[in-house]
Amino acid sequence: MYHAGRPHVTSSAPKSEQLRVLYWRSEILQVVYWLHGEGLGDLVDIDLIRTYLGVDPPGVDVHQNLSIYLDLLVADGSLVGDGDWYALSARSLADGEAQLATAFTDLVRPVRSGCDEACWCRASTAEAEACARSLPETDPQPGKAIV
Amino acid sequence: MSTMSGLSGDTNGTLPRHYLKPCLLLLLAEGPSHGYELLEHVRRMGIKGAEPGGLYRYLRAMEKEEMVSSWWEPSQAGPARRTYVLTEHGRKGLNESVQSLRDVREILVTLLDRFDTLPTRAGASRS
Repeated sequence: MYHAGRPHVTSSAPKSEQLRVLYWRSEILQVVYWLHGEGLGDLVDIDLIRTYLGVDPPGVDVHQNLSIYLDLLVADGSLVGDGDWYALSARSLADGEAQLATAFTDLVRPVRSGCDEACWCRASTAEAEACARSLPETDPQPGKAIV
Repeated sequence: MSTMSGLSGDTNGTLPRHYLKPCLLLLLAEGPSHGYELLEHVRRMGIKGAEPGGLYRYLRAMEKEEMVSSWWEPSQAGPARRTYVLTEHGRKGLNESVQSLRDVREILVTLLDRFDTLPTRAGASRS
């Protein structure tokens, strides 16, 4: 019988509450954007978010706080809420690319690089682009970063 | 409700453990891809019950293991989508997974060959 294992996004969640809010804000938005981008739906509820983030079992602290984080996203205008359902706001849809470029910078990495693992170009998109410009033109896509 | 265990939705329950991993690594070795595209392909590769939530988590986990890299790719025709590519570490992982599958295949071939040498009983069917 095949068992896929059960990777959890939560294992890398920060411990401090302030960072945790930012972390879960990013995680939730990524799921909503991912679903929207893949054409898999625009409405999410807390159970769907929980499923996508691997937050279980229900009743643990993270699960209880997910509704708080969702409400915070509604309050800051990133999501619109309708009962138990949430969707990207018109502003989020309009500003999507800008948000993807700023809110998820920790996940934006150089795709391919001629540099080693310690190269500073892996730290951010801007640095990767600068690194790419500094390398010889013989390498077709050195240090290329894609936002 | 979608769960990672939902990804084990192969119809006959005989797929090897962690079969999804070599599937995803192979698909990404063939070229960059997106979530929904990967989902359709893994279903065609035998994981018929694969669900997007489980796939999403698995891709995130593989990204944390640095086997996969991804980025948001803006589109002229629609919303930005997450594009996934295989990393060098992922390529090594694929090679290891394939070697394990080859080992399993050898074992299975041995068993099947021995089965085929069994005397056939009257009226018995091997199919």
